[in-house]
Parts: sequence; structure tokens; C-alpha cells
Amino acid sequence: MSGPGLKNATIAAGAVMVLSVVALAVDYAVMRGWTPASDAQIAALQEKVQRDAKLAPVLAAEQKRIAEFNRARRARVNWLSLVLVGAAAGFLGGAKRLLAGQARPPVRVPERGPSAVWPRAGRAVAAQAAAAAPEIDLTFVDGLIEKEGRGAEAAIPILQAIQAHYRYLPDEALRRVCHLTEISPAQIAGTSSFYSRFRRSPVGEHIVRVCHGTACHVAGARQITDELRRELAIAEGEDTDPSRTFTVEEVACLGCCSLAPVLMVDEHTAGKLTPATACDALAAVQPGERA
Amino acid sequence: MRAGSVEIRVGLSSCGVASGGEAVRDALVREAGGRAVVKAVGCNGMCHSEPIVQVLHAGKPVALYGNVTAGAARAIVRRHTPGRGLVNGARRLLRALTGGEAVDLADHLVDAEAGPAAEYLGKQKRIVLENCGEIDPGRIDEYTARGGYQALEACLRLEPDAVIAQITASGLRGRGGAGFSTGRKWEMARRQPGAVKYVICNGDEGDPGAFMDRLVLEADPHRVLEGLAIAAYAIGAAEGILYIRAEYPLAVRNVRQAIRQAQARGFTGENLLGSGFSLHLEVREGAGAFVCGEETALIQSLEGGRGMPRLRPPYPVERGLHGAPTLINNVETLASAPWIVRHGPAAYAGLGTQGSKGTKVFALAGKIRRGGLIEVPMGITIREIVEEIGGGIQGGRKFKAVQMGGPSGGCIPERLAGTPVDYDEIPKTGAIMGSGGLVVLDERDCMVDMARFFLRFTQAESCGKCTFCRIGTKRMLEILERICEGRARRDDLGTLEELVDYVSRGSLCGLGQTAPNPVATTLRYFRDEYEAHIQEKRCPAGRCPALIRYRVTDQCIGCTLCAQVCPVGAIAYRPYEKHEIDDKLCTRCDECRKACQDDAVEVVSPC
Repeated sequence: MSGPGLKNATIAAGAVMVLSVVALAVDYAVMRGWTPASDAQIAALQEKVQRDAKLAPVLAAEQKRIAEFNRARRARVNWLSLVLVGAAAGFLGGAKRLLAGQARPPVRVPERGPSAVWPRAGRAVAAQAAAAAPEIDLTFVDGLIEKEGRGAEAAIPILQAIQAHYRYLPDEALRRVCHLTEISPAQIAGTSSFYSRFRRSPVGEHIVRVCHGTACHVAGARQITDELRRELAIAEGEDTDPSRTFTVEEVACLGCCSLAPVLMVDEHTAGKLTPATACDALAAVQPGERA
Repeated sequence: MRAGSVEIRVGLSSCGVASGGEAVRDALVREAGGRAVVKAVGCNGMCHSEPIVQVLHAGKPVALYGNVTAGAARAIVRRHTPGRGLVNGARRLLRALTGGEAVDLADHLVDAEAGPAAEYLGKQKRIVLENCGEIDPGRIDEYTARGGYQALEACLRLEPDAVIAQITASGLRGRGGAGFSTGRKWEMARRQPGAVKYVICNGDEGDPGAFMDRLVLEADPHRVLEGLAIAAYAIGAAEGILYIRAEYPLAVRNVRQAIRQAQARGFTGENLLGSGFSLHLEVREGAGAFVCGEETALIQSLEGGRGMPRLRPPYPVERGLHGAPTLINNVETLASAPWIVRHGPAAYAGLGTQGSKGTKVFALAGKIRRGGLIEVPMGITIREIVEEIGGGIQGGRKFKAVQMGGPSGGCIPERLAGTPVDYDEIPKTGAIMGSGGLVVLDERDCMVDMARFFLRFTQAESCGKCTFCRIGTKRMLEILERICEGRARRDDLGTLEELVDYVSRGSLCGLGQTAPNPVATTLRYFRDEYEAHIQEKRCPAGRCPALIRYRVTDQCIGCTLCAQVCPVGAIAYRPYEKHEIDDKLCTRCDECRKACQDDAVEVVSPC
């Protein structure tokens, strides 16, 4: 059961518990005052019956009524006690899990293989992936595998399609691939960390690929990358800006060497850049970004 | 083309699109209406002038326009389309009255007969690039109209051995870099037993600074398919794979489209042109690993694993993809085959030198005035390429060296620029022919920094299989970084030279064997620069950030241009005063020096 549902159920059980305690207490208080009175009534009736035998049916009726009333009360008390015990058990169990849940997240059991098959994903990345994970719809992966086949040689096309669809390789999708195909977690971990196109962490809305080929290097690609990182306030060791709009990557060569230095925003290429015009090139996909 | 009709071509390869070619195309289409045919073609190689527009009138010479803007595009249409008397006159009057769009077309007109464009095109011999910039890559009819697929038809009537004999006679050598005889490779693949064989077109052009394959695949994909089909027929393969870099989305798109069209016409698929020979083609995108350009690594990658090379022999022609004989040829090699078959091997062998026949496509880039894609006959000298075709160095600076062959190649200094382009001559300089990347360097490029740049690349791309390559390149990179930062030790040069030797001898594949080349050649020709970095803590080219400072001289007139361009605000905005650069903030980005109109910003050595 998920977090909010559990909490609501616990509160309901607590409420039921409190209500049953109150009902039992009221019942007890009322009965305490009433029982002596009914005893006295019976005694008075018995006396009258001794004097006048015609009243005997009245006494019998009265006795029957009181016995009936007492049996109903016992049944009511039993029933309420059972509810109380049940509600108390539910409340205590729920409260315990809620308190434990605050201390550590519930452990998700991987479908296959140990969870440590993803060596490159650092702790921060794993946490990010976990935060974004519940939203992932894996029907795409199922359809993809139907199309590409289940053999080991389909690994790269499958990873490419997953990357194109989710824009990175989510752990859940990779587990699903391992589960449904002959591709092993080791092969996935190996290939996805070997090729530079594959990413294991989510990306910003747009990907900026700054070319660092030979021609771009001599034309000042380093300055372009530095300026973009500065302008977008990308922290050291990160590749995405705090608003997660742009991810800046360095790539080996985009093959537009005569326009160096070059960058590519999503599918849009811009060339003959200077540090000043590099930022304007980003505006092509995000006009509001640099007003 | 019908008499009197006008055809307007606009270059829309990646380079044209990046220069704003799509806006030009839209402007042309809107302005032309029905008066002219606007055609999107591939790049004609003059990437320095993109976007390029060509206007063809029947019976008139081609008019070529460069650096076209949307406004210029409209002016081009108006100039070349037949005027409809009154309407056109009224339009012209209206424009004159409103004063709108005064575009001087003379600024854009490129004279293909004389001047720079003629120099650029004059020395070239176009075989592989013959259709680039001429045809719409999305239309198979335009390819067949220029003789396309005739070579395949001719081959299908010949015995496979006769096809191989033609290729062998042409003297074609593998254009991927190593220069192995293509005819012999086909022959070896043909002789292999086995019913299942594969042909792979290697379009994993990973060399930084090279874009020959991209342009050919984008601008003339059918030529590559035809070459692939000829190769498949010659060796008896029924499966063909085009392995293309994922960084080239347009190339992948154009090739996929071309395959569909070729299939519809019976140039690929079942029973090619009724010959009984079948060929199935498939496109696979690379996932971004330089080492996959190596044959055995490419096969590993196609089989779904990490692209790690294995020991050869057995060569892929013996045991390749899925253990079957596999022929792997570069894009340019395959694109040369149809021309050879159509014009005969003697015509091809008539070009070039004793050991290297035909032509070679180069991607000319760097500090060159006219960069782009060129195709030159073998035997032309590097100086002719740089100074005549490329028009020399930008900004009139001094030509220092050319970097040839990318991370596997080396830097050839200006004094050896007389070396002819030849598979046997270039290696004597310590560089390699490579796949065709030719990056020109000027006096402001630091050779130690170049060596470090390539080592950083090969270090990152090393697959990690061989210890010498994995760790040796790392140690070399560390030394080069120390040198560039002025922290080098006395014995570093000696260690570097030792590592050059060990890494090249201790590695299995071409990547590791050639990874030290950029270091070896710069050490050989520019040792003084290494020594200046180490002993004097000085970067002679004024490039290594740790060894330079920027200073404003007394020539400063206080125009504030530098203060405006400084990305980090290291120059205070003080009009009419001599500016000062705050050294603590300065990132050595060089923007102030480029912006200064009075040469008042200089690079100095701090010590």
C-alpha cells in the first residue's frame, strides 16, 4: 500500500478505536444506573404476585423483557470489544509502518539480478532516477522488444530506441529489457557505459552538443563550452542547469568543420560561433530563455 | 530542363542548414511561385560560403551565389526569372518607393570561371563528389538521369570475377585510412567458402575534423548504395549493412529514404534487375565510439556488445559478422566503384601517382580561408591544397602546419608542405593519409596543445583492452597536461618519447598503435615548443592559458569594445581611458584581442 493510503487507513482505525471505547464507556455508565432500578422493580412485582396471583403473567413478561435486554447488552459489548481490538491492531500496525517509513524508504525488490548491476550510476543519479521513476510507462519497452527481437545482438538498437524515447536510459526500462530478452544485465551495463551516446541520468529539456573536434578546438570550442556553462550557471561536475532546461555535452565531432566552432541544440545546428553568439544559438529552441 | 525554364538549387546538407539554408529555401520558394523550380541539393563542397544558391538557365552558364540571406534569395529570384512586364515593373516601382530590401547581389555572386571560386574548384577532380550539389538526394530519378545505377546493371551482366578484375585494375585503395588494395580485399572475400556473406559500409566517421562520409551520404546516398550493391555482387553477399554515425541524423534519414526508393526500382531487394542476385540492405546507427571505425570492433558493435577490437587474423573477410566472411569498405571507397565501372579502370588509374591512383576527398578545415570538402587527384602537394584551393590562411597569418589523419595522424610542418598526397609519401613524414581530415594550423596554434588535444581524445576513446593503450595514453596525457600548465619535470620529455614507442608497439588495433602519432610528429618537428614550455614556462604560440596573460598596451584608445565582449567582466567599462584587464578574473578566452580594432591587446608571458 502506498504512503497516503496507509496514512488515511491508520487514522480511520484510530477513530474507530476511540469511538468504540466511548460507546462502551457510555453503555457501561447507563447500565450501571439502570440495573438496580430494574432489580427493584422485579422485587416489587414478586411481592405483588405473592399477594395477587393474577399478576404472575406480568412478572413473567417483565422478567423475560429484562433477560432479553441483558442478553442484547452482552452481545453489544462483545461486538464493540471485537471492533475495538481490531481497530487498535490496525491503528498500531499502521502507525508503526508510518514511523518506520519516515526513517527509510521501502525497499523495492528488483525483478531480476542484484540491484548493484548498475555500476556507473552514482548515488545522486540513482536518487534522481528513483524520484522520477514511478512515472515511467514501460509499455514502450514491451512494444520495442516485439519489434527488435529478443536476441543479444538487438541490444544496441534497443538501447538507442529507449534513449530516443525517454531521452536517457531509465533503470526500470533496462530491467524490463533484461527480464524480457536474452540480453543480460552485464551486457546492458557493459554496452551502455561503453558508448558515449548512452546516458544513465535524466537530461534537461534541450540537449546542447558542443563540438570539440579538431577544427572547433583550434577555433575556440573550449571558450564556447565555458561560456555556456557560466551563462546557464551549471555547477562543477554537473551537465544540466538548475532549471533543467539545458544539458550541455561535449561531443567529438559534428562534421561541420568548416563552420567551426559549432554546436547543436537538439537537432538544430549553429556555426561560426563566438562566446556571445553561442548563448543566442540556444534561444533558437527556447526564445524566452534569454530575453 | 525545358528551354527557357529556370532551376534554382539551394544546398541543404547539414552545413547549409546550419548556415540558415532552410530560411533561404523558403524565401526562394515563396518568391519564385511557379516561375522557377527550386530544388534542395546536397552541399557542393564550398562549405565556407554556405548557404549556396545556383541558378541554371538553359543555354546560359551557371550563376553561383554564396552566403545567401533570405533577402538576397528574393533578389536572386527577381533577377533570374522572366519578368511579366507590367506586374514586375509595378513591383520594382513599389520597392523603389518604399526603399525596401536593397540587396546588392554583386556581394553574393561567386564567379566560377575566375577568382577565388575558380581557384577553389579548378584543381579539383570530382569523381566521388560528382553529383554533390547537383542533384536532389531525395530523388532517385535525378541520380539515374546522371548515369546512376548503370554501373550496377553493367556489373550484373558480368561475372563477379570480371568486376573484381576491374576494381583491381583501377588501383583503388581503401579510403578509410590504411590504404589496402580494394580489389584484393574483394578477391579475398570472394574466395572464402560459405553461403552467407556480408558487406558492410563503414560510415562511422569518428575522426574529429573529418566530414567526407557525412557529405557523400547526405548529398548522394544512391552512389554509396550502388557501390555497395556492386561489392555485394562481386563477393556473393546477400546482406548489406550501412553502419552510420548517429551524430549524422540527416545522413541516416537520406540513406534510409534512398534504400526505399532503390528497392521500389529493383536496384536492391530480391532478384536485382532480373539477374537472380538478391541483396537486402539495412542501416545501423553507431552509438558513439571512435574505436568502432576499426573493423573487428565494428563487428562486435553490430553483434550487440562493447566495441572492442580482437586479434587479426582471422581477418573479417575470413571470419567476420556472426562468423561469416564479411567485407568492410569505407563510404568513399564504395562511392568510387560506380565511376570506375562506368568509365573503365584505365580512366581511374590514369589519375594519381605510381602507387596511389585516382582521387582523394579531403575535409579542409581549420585556419584556412576557404574550407570545405574537396576532391583532388592523388599526387597534388599539401601546399597546393592549402594555398591554391584553400586560399591560404585566414587573416593573413602564417601557415604553420597541417594536421592530417586525425588522432591517428600527425602534424606536417610548413617546410614539408611540398609532400605529395600519396599513400607511400605521407607516412614518411610520420603522419598518415587517414580518412581525409585536413586541419590547417597557423602561428597561433600551440603544437603541444594539439598533441594534448588528440591524446585526450584517444585516451577517452581507448576501449581499455590493451594495457599500453589504456594506461600508456593516460600517462602521456598527464605529461602533456603538466607541460601545458608549466609544471613539467626535467625528465618528462624522455618519458614521453619512451611511451610513444611502447604504446605503438604494445597495442592490438590501429587506435593504440597510432595514438602516439600526434605526439611523435610534434616532438619531431616542434621540439623547441616543448622545450620552451618546460624550461622557460612559456607558450610560444600564446595559447596555453596557464602560461599566458592578456595586457592592454598604450595603443588603447578607450573604445570599450573589449569591455563589451569580455564574458566575465574582467575589463572595467571606462570610456576614453586606457583599459585594464583584471588578471584574476580573466579566463584567457581571447575575445578582447579579437575584438580590438587597434591591436592594443597583447598576449604576454607572465615570467
